[in-house]
Formats: sequence, C-alpha cells, structure tokens
Amino acid sequence: MREQYAWRSLALAGVLAFVGLSIILQIVHIQTSPEAAIFREQAAQYAETIQTFYPERGEIYDRDGHLLAGNKTVYEIGVNLKSVKDEHAIALAVGVELGLNPDNLYSLMANPPGNLTYLILANYVDADKALALQQLKINADLQAAAGEQSSLSGLEFTPHPQRTYPEGALASNVIGFVSHEGRGYFGIEEKYNDLLAGAPIQVKVPVDPNQAADIPQVPNGTTLILTLNRDLQAATEQILDDSLTKYGAQGGTIVIMDPRNGEILAMASTPRMDLNQFWNYASIYHNASEYNLAVSTPYEPGSVLKILTMAGALDNNTVTPATTFLDTGSILIGGVTIMNWNNQAWGLQDMEGCIQNSLNVCMAWVSSQMGAQSFYEYMNRFGLGHPTSIDLADEAAGRLKTPGDTDWSPSDLGTNAFGQGVATTPIQIMMAASAIANNGRMVTPHVLYAMVRNGRQFNVPAQYAGSPISVHTAQTMNQMLATSIKNEASLASVPNYSIAGKTGTAQIPIEGGYDPVKTNASFIGWGPTDDPRFMIYVWLESPSASIWGSETAAPVFAQVAQKTILMLNIPPDKIREQIAAQH
Amino acid sequence: MIRTIDVIHYAYKQAPWRIQRQWISAFLLVVLGLSMIAALYLDVTARAALTGRDIQNLSANIIAIQQSNADLETNIAMLTSYDAMEKRALAMNYQPAQSNQVQFIVVPGYIAPQPASLISAPSLQPSAPTIRPEYTQSLLDWFDQRLHTPVSISMMGVSQ
Repeated sequence: MREQYAWRSLALAGVLAFVGLSIILQIVHIQTSPEAAIFREQAAQYAETIQTFYPERGEIYDRDGHLLAGNKTVYEIGVNLKSVKDEHAIALAVGVELGLNPDNLYSLMANPPGNLTYLILANYVDADKALALQQLKINADLQAAAGEQSSLSGLEFTPHPQRTYPEGALASNVIGFVSHEGRGYFGIEEKYNDLLAGAPIQVKVPVDPNQAADIPQVPNGTTLILTLNRDLQAATEQILDDSLTKYGAQGGTIVIMDPRNGEILAMASTPRMDLNQFWNYASIYHNASEYNLAVSTPYEPGSVLKILTMAGALDNNTVTPATTFLDTGSILIGGVTIMNWNNQAWGLQDMEGCIQNSLNVCMAWVSSQMGAQSFYEYMNRFGLGHPTSIDLADEAAGRLKTPGDTDWSPSDLGTNAFGQGVATTPIQIMMAASAIANNGRMVTPHVLYAMVRNGRQFNVPAQYAGSPISVHTAQTMNQMLATSIKNEASLASVPNYSIAGKTGTAQIPIEGGYDPVKTNASFIGWGPTDDPRFMIYVWLESPSASIWGSETAAPVFAQVAQKTILMLNIPPDKIREQIAAQH
Repeated sequence: MIRTIDVIHYAYKQAPWRIQRQWISAFLLVVLGLSMIAALYLDVTARAALTGRDIQNLSANIIAIQQSNADLETNIAMLTSYDAMEKRALAMNYQPAQSNQVQFIVVPGYIAPQPASLISAPSLQPSAPTIRPEYTQSLLDWFDQRLHTPVSISMMGVSQ
C-alpha cells in the first residue's frame, strides 16, 4: 500500500516537473526565437518617446521692475478623431464658445485632410474661453451613461505659453514682438532672441517610471531688465503724439538718454502698435525701417550737426569761440553757393554767434578752414556713417560721403558742415553729442540694463566709444551751447535749469534736389549743463504748423525736459548749488 | 561474518522516510528563500515604479505651477499697467504734478531709488541628483556600495 502511494507521488511529481520544465523550455524558446528580436525592437520603440522641451521665454522688465513682456497660458483645442462620438455636438460647442462657424468645424471633422487622426480646431485660445469649453466637456462626461462616451469625447485641450505684453503699445518700437512660431522680430525681442528664448532640448523620455530621473530640467530663457523708465516712456509717447497733432507733423521720434553712461531712458517713435496684436504689423508699417525711426531711419539732420563741426574745429584749433567771421550772406564752396537759412547777411560774427544764429555760411567757412581731411576725420571719430552698436535690431549706419567716394564732391564739405548731404539717425547724433556733454568721452547707447539667469543678476556696464574731442573742447562747446540757448531766449529753455542745445531745420531730399516746402525739424539738448543727467533728441517729420525747428522741435524738447526733470527728481540749479556748497 | 556487517550497516542507516523528508524540507527551504527574494524584489520594484510615477506627476505639477505663476504675474502687470494706474489715479482726483508745484527739500541721508534688482532667494533646482539612491540602485549595487564604503569612525577628543 505504502509502495503504491510512493509510485503515485512519483508519477505526479514527474508530471509536474515535466510541465514546469516545459514552461521553462518554452520561455527560453520564446526569448531566443526570431520573433523575440522583433518584439524586443517594438518594445524599444515604445519604451521611450522623443520630446522637445521648449524653455519658457525670458521676461522683459523696465528699470523699475515693471513687466513689459511676459508669458501667459493659452490653449490649443483639437479633436482626436478616433475618440469622437458626435461631430455635431463638438462643432456646436466649440463654435459657440469660441465664436467660430460650427458648419466649418463640422465639415473639417467630417472630411479630415489626409489620414490625420488629430485635428487642431483652434489655437492660442485664451484661458477663460478654453476653460469654459473644458467645463462643458466635464459636464457632458458626467451626464454620459456609465461605460459610454460622452457627446464631447475626443475634444482635447493642450496648454502652452504665449508671449504677452501687459503695457500694450507702450515702447513697442523698442521691445519688438514674438511671432506664434516663437521668433522675435524687431527691437529687444529680435536682438536678444537667443538669450530670451533659451535653448530647446530634444530628449528621449523613458516611458518606464523607474527612469523618471532622466527627465531633463530645461532652464528658462534669460530675463532682461531694460534701462527704460516706463513712466517716462509713457509721458514721452504722450508728448510726441500731442506734438504731431499740434504741429501737423507726419511722424516723429523722441529719445531720452543718460549722457553719462548711454542708458536709454525713453525712446518714443511713431507709429506704434499693440504688441498683443502683432499680426497688424503689415497694415501699420510699409517697411522695416519705419518700426523705430530713432535707430532705423537715417535722415539729413540739418543744423543739429553744426555742434559736431564746431567741436571739431575748436578741437583742432582751427577756431576759438572768439574767432570772428564776416558773414556776407553767401559763400562759394566747390562751385556751389551756400546761403543762410533766411538768405540774409549777418555781418561780423564770432563763433558763438555763428552757433546761436545757426549760420550756414559761417559753418561752411569753418569746415573749409578745417580742410576736408580734418573735417571728415572728426566726423568719423564722432561715429557718423557707422552704426552706434546700440542693442536694438535693424540699426542703420547712415551715410557720410568722404573724399574718394565716387559721389562725393567738394561742395559736400560745405553742406555737410550744417547737416545737409549727410544721412544720420537720431541715435548717432546723440552718441556723437554725448562727447560734448560728457567731458569729451563718447558713450555707446544701450537699452539693456541687466540680465537675470539662474537666480543671478548681471548688470551691463557702460561702454565708451572713444574720446573724439578733448575735455577742454567739450567744456567750451558745452558753455557755448548753453549761452546760445540762454541768449536767444529759446523755446527750448527750461526755467531754473541750465540747458545746452541746438535746433535743426533740414530740407528733405527728393529726386533731383530738395523739397521746396517740407522740412525736418530737430532739436538736441541736455542738462543740467554742469552735470548732465539727460540728453533729449526730438525729430518731427514735415511739420505743417511751422517749418522751423526752433518753433516746433524746441518747445517739444522743453516739454520733455520738464517731464524728465520731474520724473528723475533733478533739483533746480540753485538747489543743487546749495547742496554742493554744504558738502 | 558478512551478514553480521550488513545487519550493522542497515541498523545505522537512516530510515528512507527520514531521508525523503529531509529532501522535501531542503527543497521547500530553497523555494521559500526564492519566494522571499522574489517578494522583496517585487516590493522594491513596485515602490520604485510608484515613486517614479510620482516624480513624473510632480514634474508636471512644477510646469503647471510655473505657468500659473507666469499667468498671475502677467495679470498683476496688466492691473498695474501705466494706463490702468493712470485711470485709477484720475478717478481718485489726482493730477499730474507740474514743475511749479514741486518743491525740493534737502533731506540728509536720502538715497535716490536704484534700478530694479530681480534677484530673490536662491531656489532649489529640482534635478536628477536630488533623487535618493535607494530609488535608483539595485540590490547588487547596494551590496557593492556597502562592501566598498570605508567605515567611518568618529573620534572625540577629550581634553583636560
């Protein structure tokens, strides 16, 4: 009996062992079969997905920490056609919530292009609208019978960031904009696109949760702090807009710079556009150079350039402030007769009188006394004909013809001296004039104040672009310009503050000559003259109220200067003298 | 004589049922050991998988919170934009100050406002190295680490 049980046990153990062994053999067989390699390959394909991680674009702030460009979440709304149960319901819901035509949506879903299984119905949808639609879907899911798809099944919501500009059109000509593809255009957005955007990373993300540690951390784009003062920018834009209306100008620009370090405090230009609706660009601007007149549009600046001519002549000792010139009302240079702005003779003038009365004849004489080589050497030193390297996209270099150029003629030596026949941008004149305001040292204008990355702030130091004139020349010229403003009771004067400056009225070149009626009115000035805190450039295009810069651009300068003084808390000269005396 | 030796041999040989039981016990012991290792392995693997999934969810949460922060920051910026603040100021009967309405007073020790500094306290950057090795290393790795880690002995000096 005992032996019988033993045999049965052995038989059962044998069967079980056989089954076990068979299973093991089958496992080994499956693992080593030709199909196993195919399965392993398929598994490897699904084991990880390739994903591109786009860092969040860096923000842009003004110098006081006001957000000028940020990011907000918008939604892509699409349908997974394999999961759709009721196209009509989806078309109706999306159409009503987003204001789209339901018939178009339905026909799109009913006849998808190609073999698409996912269709984008709308993109860049604001969060409130997308969330309302999402709530509809949740309600539909709750109402659906257990185990059944809801009428809105297949509707999918994908959030993603979008560039947004809380200040709308404010400083639009400086900031630029970002397209839906994420590329920056114009201004800071284009110039610092690589920094702001960060580097997208493409990685294989494992599906296996055990490998979650391999998910990369993508650093966001660099945040930028600009030198702009938001409130001063808004005030400057307001003054510019009012001035265009008041003086009937076609366009214009006003730039405020700190002449000590080249920081741009405000840069207003017309026209501007709401950066949140950048797709209107083509209907507002005819070409790229119109986007920011201050840096992209060279023009003949006229008499504002006389300060550079005089500074050069003083610096190479061609003249002194006391040098006299008998103005007969005309002068012949290179076969061309040059006249004064009023076609009158001004008699005996010293150099201060030449500047104060803005005499073309006198300035042409000064440049001819300097000689072409010396004159153009100084103009080159002041940076005319070269970009200033301001950190904004699309800067124009302007044009300074020099002896040796095919289109240069000897008469250019005379006309260039008072700013005709030479093309510059406002920012070029400002950089050049900074040498006069800043004791001979020329600053490079810039808009970037600091960069913030990985919790560290890197401030951008001031860059200097050489010293085209001596300290003595700069101080002499500064004094001459201040006296000039004071003596002629200029409309550019600001009560209780010493201001140095110069008007400019320039004829506008047209095909075959100059426009007989239209002019460009300009003014450049800075103050307080003993310790300049601001430099302001005003350019009004073709003002109809008056052709003269002294009657249009000069009062605009005074208005901007007063606003700047208030916002920068600059005390009047007497108070500053008191403070200086106490120390 | 030979028969006598056989009798003695059988007399000292273990009973067959005892040998059988010893074999079964040994086999069951091996099975039990393997089961324990398998259970331990399953437990560790399951916990690692759950933690991995948690990490993925937390990463997604971080991204969502960052987006939410950006949205809130933008909303604040819109509410405090120049236009909005100007409208609020005018509604409260404020007017822009004019030059002749401003008086400057010498205040000893006054420091003019400086440009913005956006640096806040350094935040921890979540990254792979912050995941404890318990969640990533295998049992063999752990044994290897334990074997090769030098024993640290802390010495406390006594001074008199």
